[in-house]
Amino acid sequence: MRLIARYAVELKTEYEVVTVWDEKTDRACVPKSDPHIETLSRTHPSAIWFERKMHDDFGIIIDDAFDNRPLVHQERFPRGVYPMQKQFTQTALEAAEYLPYKYEAIGGDGVFEVAVGPIHAGIIEPGHFQFSQAGEDMLHQEVRHFYKYRAVEKMLEGKTLADAKAVIERISGNESVAYQTAWRDIVLQATKTELPEANRKYHALLLELERIIHHLTDLGFIPNDAGFGAALAFCSKLSEEARRQMQHLTGHRFGFGAIGFEETKIDTMQMKHYLDDLEKEMMFFEEWITDIPSLWDRFDTTGILKHHKALKYDTVGVVARASGVALDRRESDFYRAHGFVLHTEKSGDVAARFKQRLAEVKNCITMMRALLTEKTEAVTLHTVQDGEYVAYTESSLGELFMSIVLKDGLIERFFVRDPSFMNWQALHLMMPGNIIADFPLINKSCDLSYAGNDL
Amino acid sequence: MIRFWNKRLKTGILTEAPEIDAELATLRKSLKDEVKKKFAGSLAIRMVDSGSCNACEAECNALGNPYYDLERLGIYFVASPRHADVMLLSGLMTFNMTPHVLDAYAQIPEPKWVITLGDCPVMQAPFEKTFAVNAPATEHLPVAHHIPGCPPAPDAIIRGLLAFLKKI
Repeated sequence: MRLIARYAVELKTEYEVVTVWDEKTDRACVPKSDPHIETLSRTHPSAIWFERKMHDDFGIIIDDAFDNRPLVHQERFPRGVYPMQKQFTQTALEAAEYLPYKYEAIGGDGVFEVAVGPIHAGIIEPGHFQFSQAGEDMLHQEVRHFYKYRAVEKMLEGKTLADAKAVIERISGNESVAYQTAWRDIVLQATKTELPEANRKYHALLLELERIIHHLTDLGFIPNDAGFGAALAFCSKLSEEARRQMQHLTGHRFGFGAIGFEETKIDTMQMKHYLDDLEKEMMFFEEWITDIPSLWDRFDTTGILKHHKALKYDTVGVVARASGVALDRRESDFYRAHGFVLHTEKSGDVAARFKQRLAEVKNCITMMRALLTEKTEAVTLHTVQDGEYVAYTESSLGELFMSIVLKDGLIERFFVRDPSFMNWQALHLMMPGNIIADFPLINKSCDLSYAGNDL
Repeated sequence: MIRFWNKRLKTGILTEAPEIDAELATLRKSLKDEVKKKFAGSLAIRMVDSGSCNACEAECNALGNPYYDLERLGIYFVASPRHADVMLLSGLMTFNMTPHVLDAYAQIPEPKWVITLGDCPVMQAPFEKTFAVNAPATEHLPVAHHIPGCPPAPDAIIRGLLAFLKKI
């Protein structure tokens, strides 16, 4: 079974610990006075971050865990403060005395550590990477995040679904349409409203456009990190053009506010021309880039994530598919009817993740042609019913899981698991056998979100 | 490679924004003097994300694409605060990032300026104040200029930088 998410919900006298698997959902209640749960990390390593987060959020003790370090709470975070508890209502924190974090490190003669971050040497989000090195060879790497922790889950409590939208679409800018789509699905469930086919198509079109923008950016940056800047110049031109299409369709370059229930008219002619141009550019790009041996010398066998490890660590999205895991939330009748074909690669290295993105862009173009529609209809939503709702979306990074508990029409608990939350935990598996200079290349080939992970 | 150069020649130069260039032409004299006097001919920016959604960073990256090509204006993003004149700050100044932002600022040699980028650092974005948010940035740093937007588009960032240069 694949672990999708594990989180706690506060009830009156208990915490409900929800564990979401691909086949079922487990629920267990623990008393607030003495909250203990058993760890799942011995069989599912990806449970570690969920459980460490649960401890930092609610103070739930994880029995039998081999990693009890704080995750979200960093060196200066006040001790004994569990901010997701309903009784916690402070809006500011007093920095506590500095308590060093114990990094995972490999000992031995001549083995040394390299600390990188949280602020990196480029225009990039903050996060920390700690390497254990034997000369140039990476022995181990630890990913440490949550520098960007904004407490989005807490922020959204007590809001209506409509009011929460503006924050939800800004959790991770690169995946805004995906987050909005998950929000839309929860609104539709909570109001028992059907979405007309044309609207569904338009929203799916925007989601594929977002995927194209993201993939094109990566198709430029990955070769750039291998020292081939011409590809960045070429692909950043294409991603800028794709972003302008997003602006043309939705009035916003990232599609903020794009997914709604209003009537929309779509300029299908312009989009058709754009897709034709992009297809030609992609044909040229693929032919050109495939023919540069020095580049593939860097890509091939670099940063391998083996198939069985990809499964063991419950990875999702491009990272999983490049390692041969046939997992995509678009595997549905709706998407297949519009030309979706599930593509996977076998080798699990940087080359595979690069080729995976190329293949997905080409499939996106086919799907977007089929998804083009003249206009969408205005939808009248029925009244919101309380309950617990979940939604899945395939963002440009992979499977996004969102869960919202509504009480008296307001959000009682908001939980979202970004695809990056799973894949960050598998990143260290790609490092052994590579030199530290390949780390940026490997990291970029996965292109994970920091903001979506940290919330 | 020959195919690439053929394509390159056929594509030509894409760098645009004539209205900015026109503005630049009028600004050029004073701009040149200012940049020369204060920044030895080039303005070096250290971008620091203090808890954004990554859209502001994506737009700063877009400044390097062929349509905007920021470096033609003598403005560069640098890898270390010690090489920088200006800190361009995005995000909500999260509790966890605040000490690192202040460290980075301390590392920038004098004279130095802070420009806030996007609606987050001035608390104009839809995000609300929580215990994990230390924005507005003005409470922690001497902010010289602000570039609004959620996120500001690349041309808005260029305009914002020009406005900053005029101001100081």
